[in-house]
Order: sequence, then structure tokens, then C-alpha cells
Amino acid sequence: MLHRRIYQFFIVYFLGIGLLFGIKLVLGLSDYVIPGPSNLWNTATAEWYRYLGDVLNTFTVAVVGQVLSIIIALTVGVVGRKATWFGSFIKVAAYNVQAYPIVAIAPILFILLGDGYLTRLFIAAMICYFPLLLSVIGIMGEPVADIEHFYRITGRLRWQLEVKIRAFENLYKLTTVISGSATLAMAGTIVAEFIAANAGIGYSIRIALYQSDLSKILVALFMIGITLSFYQGVLEMLGTSLKKSWAGK
Amino acid sequence: MKAKLFSGFPLTHDAQMSLLSCKDIRFQYPGTKTPLFDGLTITIDRPGFHALFGPSGIGKTTLAKIISGDIAGFSKQVKASGKGPCLYTYNQERLPGWSSVGRHVEQSTPEGRESLRDHLIHGFGLSNLLGMRFSQLSMGQCNRVNLLRYLLQDFRLLIMDESLANVDEPTREIIIYQIKSTFPKAGFLYISHNVVEVARFCDQIIVLRGRHKNPRTRLIVGQNHQKSQPLDKGALEASMLEIMNAA
Repeated sequence: MLHRRIYQFFIVYFLGIGLLFGIKLVLGLSDYVIPGPSNLWNTATAEWYRYLGDVLNTFTVAVVGQVLSIIIALTVGVVGRKATWFGSFIKVAAYNVQAYPIVAIAPILFILLGDGYLTRLFIAAMICYFPLLLSVIGIMGEPVADIEHFYRITGRLRWQLEVKIRAFENLYKLTTVISGSATLAMAGTIVAEFIAANAGIGYSIRIALYQSDLSKILVALFMIGITLSFYQGVLEMLGTSLKKSWAGK
Repeated sequence: MKAKLFSGFPLTHDAQMSLLSCKDIRFQYPGTKTPLFDGLTITIDRPGFHALFGPSGIGKTTLAKIISGDIAGFSKQVKASGKGPCLYTYNQERLPGWSSVGRHVEQSTPEGRESLRDHLIHGFGLSNLLGMRFSQLSMGQCNRVNLLRYLLQDFRLLIMDESLANVDEPTREIIIYQIKSTFPKAGFLYISHNVVEVARFCDQIIVLRGRHKNPRTRLIVGQNHQKSQPLDKGALEASMLEIMNAA
């Protein structure tokens, strides 16, 4: 599972690089617009260590942001699963938070909180929170009647059991969404860093953009992609082992 | 294992009141033009193993849900004697898959019913399945496990909606005899399309008839056969014929 994720990334990345080199070759573009293979290799050997540090910095923020967003989405989903006034209120409030694109309100966050760790974390969490919330509310709001009926009519259906039944029955969906939200968390962190932060791989990409250095950007993309593929592979493996141990399959 | 009578259950029949009485039930599904029930009245006057019979789509499950309270708003029209709730169980129910069948049955056994649980597990032929997950069982085994956990609960009336579907005939027979002998004072309403089974094992059979028929229900007396009794085949055939004519 992990190796599949990684070799899939290699295929996509090198196809993209190949396409760029093809365009360069066909249109006769200079190294300034699209760097050649040797230029790219030199940049990679010179910058990979610094970019690795930047990616790990971004990755740390993304993981913490993702964990935060999972906690928030699960809490809102569990509280808002009931068709009560309070449940509806929670759902509406949660949806309204997303009425504005988070990137649009990011400058406000940077003004209020500065360009440090907290702002990046907040933006990462907000960007990956909403898809998670939609899935969790969908899962938690849908009764599993065939299982819940017995517990309901015998008075045994506490909220913890209800949540456990619904989570168990939708384990595949939940693990897929959580694994997929890793991409969003990483993208959210990079976007935050690109807008205004003073650290992370998004910040390095911004500097490379100002320098019009495509080879640096391509090296940065490689570092981001390989890290994310590894992380998603690990999440999928964890999800599979969780399913095996919980469902006995 | 020696069979025990669980007459000490809080299911004792109140002689002053019928087991089940439904009066003037009117029910229409939203979006439909005609009511499913328009002034439906049924009465079962004593505890025992009774049946609700009728063709598919006639409203048996809806009526069962009205009686059990799964469809709310009929508490004034539906009266039942005895203590405890009316429970409704159906053949597609599932147990959660996170632990074994035995663990789930153990957890859903009320205190003091452990000997009843063991007695039923043995009688229902489930002893070898307790270590398995619910998803590993056949459909008939699933239905037997599901019915077993309901029988362990407090109830004044247990409605069994196709609860023994997919169970082979000899095993079904054993289970019905066991239920009747173990719970002689309890009330059961068995929903089945098997006319032979209903005529043979049930005491009173409520036949739910088509909307155009008047009255909507007919009460037929079944053979209420017990394991120890000889079976009167002539009487059984007469009951079957009466049920078929009523439907």
C-alpha cells in the first residue's frame, strides 16, 4: 500500500517533468523559462536538504492541523447528528463558518495573529475541516436501523453506542476521508505559507517564484509529493489495520 | 439440557384485560391517496403463540410497528395487558460486527437470565456459533441469533416479523416448540407467509385482508400444536383452508 502510493507519485511526477522538457524542446524555450535536466539536478543536489527541513516544518503543521480538524469535525458531527434545535444550530453554525473561502479571510488571520505557527495551523485546520465535517455529519446523521433497532427499543442505545455503531458501519468511508484530508491539510498549510508566513515550504516556493527559479519550485514539489505520498500510505495502512483489528476481517 | 418454564417472567397475563386490543386504527402513508387502515380493530384475548397472516403489501409490518410503537401516535388505540414493552423484531436485523456473537448475546442478557440464555442457545442450536462474528453467519443463523436476544428481554408481547425466515423447516419447528414451552404465559405475534406453519403452531390467527374486503380482519383459531400432542391432520387442513379462504 505504502510502496504503491510512492511509485504512483514517481510516475505522475516524472510524467509532469517529461511534459515540461517536451514543451521546452518543442518550443525551444531557454533554461530561464524551463530549466534543463542538468540544471534541475544541480538545484536538487544543492537545495534538497534545506527543502527537506522546510517540508518537514510544513508537514508538522499540516499533521497537527489535520488532527485538530478531525477532532473538531467529529465533535460537531456527533453533537449535530440529532434533528434537534441544538443539532441544527450546530450544523448551521459549522456550515456558516465556511461561507467565506478560508483563503479570502487568511489576510485577516495574518493581521490579527501574525505570520507565525498559529496562523498556519489555523488555516490548515480550517481548509481540511469542512470536507471532513460533511462526511462526519453525513455518517453520524444516518441511522443504521437494522442494528440500532434492538438497542433503541430495549432502551440500551446511549449516544456513545450510537456513534460507535455508525462509525463502525462507515469505517471504510471515514478512513478514506481522513486519509484524503491529509492532502487538504498539506495544501492548506502551503497556501498559508505562500500568502504570508515566514517559514515552511510554501514560503520557500514564494521566494523561488520571486526569483523566477522554476527548478527550485520543481524540487520543492518533489519534496512535498514524496512526503505526502508517504504520509497517505501510512494513514491507509493504519486504516486497514484498524479495520482488521476492529472488524476481525 | 433440561427445559425450564419461565413463568416467573414479568409477562403474566391479566385475566381482566385482553392480551392485545387495537381499536379504530386509521393510518395513511404520506404521499398515498388511500389509507392503509381505516378503522381497523383487532383483539387477541389471551396470551400464547398467535399469528398475523396476509398477503404481501397488505400492511402486516405497518400494523406490527403501530402495535410496538415503532410508528408513534397510537398509544390511545393500542392497549396490551401485562408489564414490559411490546417488542418488534424483524428478519433483517444485524448485530454489530466489532465482537463475537457470544459476546453480544452476553452483553444483551439482563441480570438473572443467564440460565435462560444458555437454555435457548442450546435449544436454538447456536452453541457452535458463539465465537463467530455476525457477518460470518448464514442468514438463518443470523435470524436465530437475533430472535434469541429478544427472547431474553422483558416484554409483554413479542412481534416476530418473519423472524425465522431462511431457517430450515426442522429447526424452525424445534425453535417454535421451544418458545411455546419455555414461555407459556407470554404473548407472541408471529408474522409469516407459511400457512401450514401458522395453522399448525399458532393459537389465534389474525388474517389481514385486502382493502376492498369487509371486515378487514378475520380471527381464525389455529391448532396451537404442542410437541407432546398428537397432530390432528384433518383439523390442520381445515384451519389451513379457513385461513386461505379468509385471506
